Amino acid sequence: MHGRVKVKSTAQQEEEKRKEREKKLKIYVAARDACFSKRKEGIFDDEALQISQQLLSSNPDFATLWNYRREILMHLETVKEEDEVQKIYVAELSFLESCLKVNPKSYGSWHHRWWVSTRLPKPDWARELNLCDRCLSLDDRNFHCWDYRRMVVKMSGVPVDQELAFTDRLIGSNFSNYSSWHYRSTLLPLLHPESPEPTSPATSPPNPPLQQLLKEYELVQNAFFTDPNDQSAWFYYRWLLGRAEREEMISCVYVCRDEERVAVAFSGPVNAQACGLLLVLDGLPQRVEWRSVHPRFKHSPVWICDFPPGTISDIPNEHNLTVHWTEKPTHRDCALYTGRSESWCRDSATDQELFRSELSVEKTSVLQSELQSCNQLQELEPLNKWCLLTIILLMRALDPLGYEKETLAHFQTLKEVDSMRSAYYSDLCSKFMIENTILKMEYAEVRVFSISDKNLTTLCHLDQLLLVTHINLSSNQLQRLPPQFAMLQCLEVLEADNNSIENLEGVYHLPKLEEVILKNNKISSLSDLQPLASCPKLKRLDLRGNPVTQTADVESKLAELLPSVTDLLL
Amino acid sequence: MAEEESQFEEFEQIVFLRDRHVRFFQRTLQVLPERYASLETTRLTIIFFALSGLDVLDALDRTKLTLVVVGFEDRHIGIPYSTKGPGVLHPYDSGHVAMTYTGLCSLVILGDDLSRVDKQACLAGLRALQLEDGSFYAVPEGSENDIRFIYCAASICYMLDDWSGMDMQKAIEYITGSLSYDNGFGQGAGRESHGGWTYCAIASLCLMGRLEEALSPRELDRIRRWCIMRQQSGFHGRPNKPVDTCYSFWVGATLELLDVFQYTNFDKNRSFILSTQDRLVGGFAKWPDSHPDPLHAYLGLCGLSLIGEPSLRKVHPALNITQRAFEHVQQLQQTWRESSCGRQH
Repeated sequence: MHGRVKVKSTAQQEEEKRKEREKKLKIYVAARDACFSKRKEGIFDDEALQISQQLLSSNPDFATLWNYRREILMHLETVKEEDEVQKIYVAELSFLESCLKVNPKSYGSWHHRWWVSTRLPKPDWARELNLCDRCLSLDDRNFHCWDYRRMVVKMSGVPVDQELAFTDRLIGSNFSNYSSWHYRSTLLPLLHPESPEPTSPATSPPNPPLQQLLKEYELVQNAFFTDPNDQSAWFYYRWLLGRAEREEMISCVYVCRDEERVAVAFSGPVNAQACGLLLVLDGLPQRVEWRSVHPRFKHSPVWICDFPPGTISDIPNEHNLTVHWTEKPTHRDCALYTGRSESWCRDSATDQELFRSELSVEKTSVLQSELQSCNQLQELEPLNKWCLLTIILLMRALDPLGYEKETLAHFQTLKEVDSMRSAYYSDLCSKFMIENTILKMEYAEVRVFSISDKNLTTLCHLDQLLLVTHINLSSNQLQRLPPQFAMLQCLEVLEADNNSIENLEGVYHLPKLEEVILKNNKISSLSDLQPLASCPKLKRLDLRGNPVTQTADVESKLAELLPSVTDLLL
Repeated sequence: MAEEESQFEEFEQIVFLRDRHVRFFQRTLQVLPERYASLETTRLTIIFFALSGLDVLDALDRTKLTLVVVGFEDRHIGIPYSTKGPGVLHPYDSGHVAMTYTGLCSLVILGDDLSRVDKQACLAGLRALQLEDGSFYAVPEGSENDIRFIYCAASICYMLDDWSGMDMQKAIEYITGSLSYDNGFGQGAGRESHGGWTYCAIASLCLMGRLEEALSPRELDRIRRWCIMRQQSGFHGRPNKPVDTCYSFWVGATLELLDVFQYTNFDKNRSFILSTQDRLVGGFAKWPDSHPDPLHAYLGLCGLSLIGEPSLRKVHPALNITQRAFEHVQQLQQTWRESSCGRQH
């Protein structure tokens, strides 16, 4: 149903139109019935070709008739000579061209053309490419035509650099050609002599030789300098600058004598109950039950299991653990030394290149010059959101901590310039600030995570905070501590005052949690505090400035709900 | 004074004309203009738009409409289209997966118990349509194959509560293989990202219950990013294309399934959808000042429902029927499970 604009008409015109419609309808129905009865009787003659042609000319979406036509043609293949068949199919291609002129977006027509092209005794692929060229010159976003072109290229073995040159021409004449950029993205990986494995997804960044990559950067820069408001080049640029997906692994194993518990963090969510996870203690495989940190998660990056009492509580003894992920296969060892009550083994976020990739010297200087160009553009076009986003991306690739101030300033501008998406940008900014705080924490080699007064609207990367003992989230805009918060298995002190928190689902079965500061939030009912009851060591709780403190008998009700709490501030 | 007048005009433009839309869909069920002749062979989809549209408007009078869809059933292989009307099978029209999907939806919307649908035949028919690469044909004689028909197949399996109709793993591989460099989904591998196909991909994975298994958190975030950038006022389906009413549902529902719909701008979305509203005949068009059609009328309503328009029922974002119809499906499934348990004892 393609958009059609309204046109006014008189009563007489309406009547004439109505009469014409009646006539057309009669002819249409007669032809259609004739076609169906012929097919029913298994007749595959010229008349059938004619009638179906008539009908399809006015309605190329009549799929059944294309099917019938294919049956007729297949039949003719068996009774006619090869050069006659060639003629018939060439005529079919002409007919299809006229159908496509009427409706260049008909699935039926394009599918049938493909079918004909593959059956033609002597196919003329150059002609097909030419058809695509013409069709695309009328509508360069017609994906039917692009798809057809891809198939023709594959079938006829058109070399990759020829098609790359084709996209060069299209992009050169009109940078705003998203479909051309898309096509280019599928060609670029094929150009590199050491092609990526076939299973590499389209989203992986390309890895062409540096020269080719520089050429791509140049092409893209020309595009967005010419028309900074066009999305096409920016999306392509984003892809070029992207990072490959990391290999899946066990990122951290943590063991604690007091709770006789092991916590395992993976690089992404897994279902530990179904992925072949094996725990070996001092050379002996253990029978344990793995559970995720919150009943809501069947897939989680963090899993926990408990040892039978007495297994590792003997402090004078050393124990060696190995966690095997047999599906991959990969494993991680962890030694629990004599006299130590806990131990862990992990790859830091920096080691894992979680938030940015290791850059070669050449790549770094290339990206720096890219950043310079974008900054120049930004001075000329201060309201352009694509430019701002790309600058942020480049800064994060080059030096996330060094550019933190500028990044925050750019996000502020972005929220004003593209206010429709300001909530999305707030969340994105929160994510980057959390990443920076994780990096800082790792450099300082402490287990304290402090991110206060940073306009945080959301929490993420909580799987990276498995070892954190103290967390300070005060003076932000958080509304909840989501179930994923339960991944902070080592947490002892939680400071979250001056937020808008109404939901504490994630403060769940945190075995070491002793102090919770929730002053000036939006906790409104006792049921909101229910998750805290699952934290056995909770002693100190600050609920001042929350609506729940106005509940009748709040003190005694809390004493009942949270018996371990000795220090309560209301 | 001038300010007041323009405010009044604005107000006029943004009034949702519920009754007109009800009449639009009621008329659709009886007669369609000549323009739609090319859709004659896909009538069942139009019936679905009208029935579901009336359901969303809470204006469905089921007693008058029960018999309409029954006549299109086929005991054989699904629900084909027949020109001769109720009960007459057409020898050369086998089941078409999109017709089966919309046919089942229509029955469910009308409160049918699906007892007259041959479920096993339906599922067998589906299996026959799936290719090695995981995608589906529309019809057994062959047609183009792509992600649209995976969505139809997934919806059918979901409603019939029976995933033996497809090799789910292969379908998932086809879907994840369709993720493009810019993090939207194409119709298949190597094809351009598009709001409609992205909906088919995400909704299918949600119906299968495999969203988080098939896509990593990073991929999901990137997909969210691509989708959220589709809003211009209303939504468009691809970058540099004009906004179109139907994408308020295709992209909106995808964002809803990915849990970030609340980050879109509801006011601008609503203003655009209502700017395509036909004040005379009802319904919505693709663009302002164009003729309305059942597809855009229905999806415009769904787009408004996602935003929470007061007089509309909630729509299930993955199945594309009302929550009410969805609850009926759940009840049916409960009954089937209980009766099969009963038989085992």
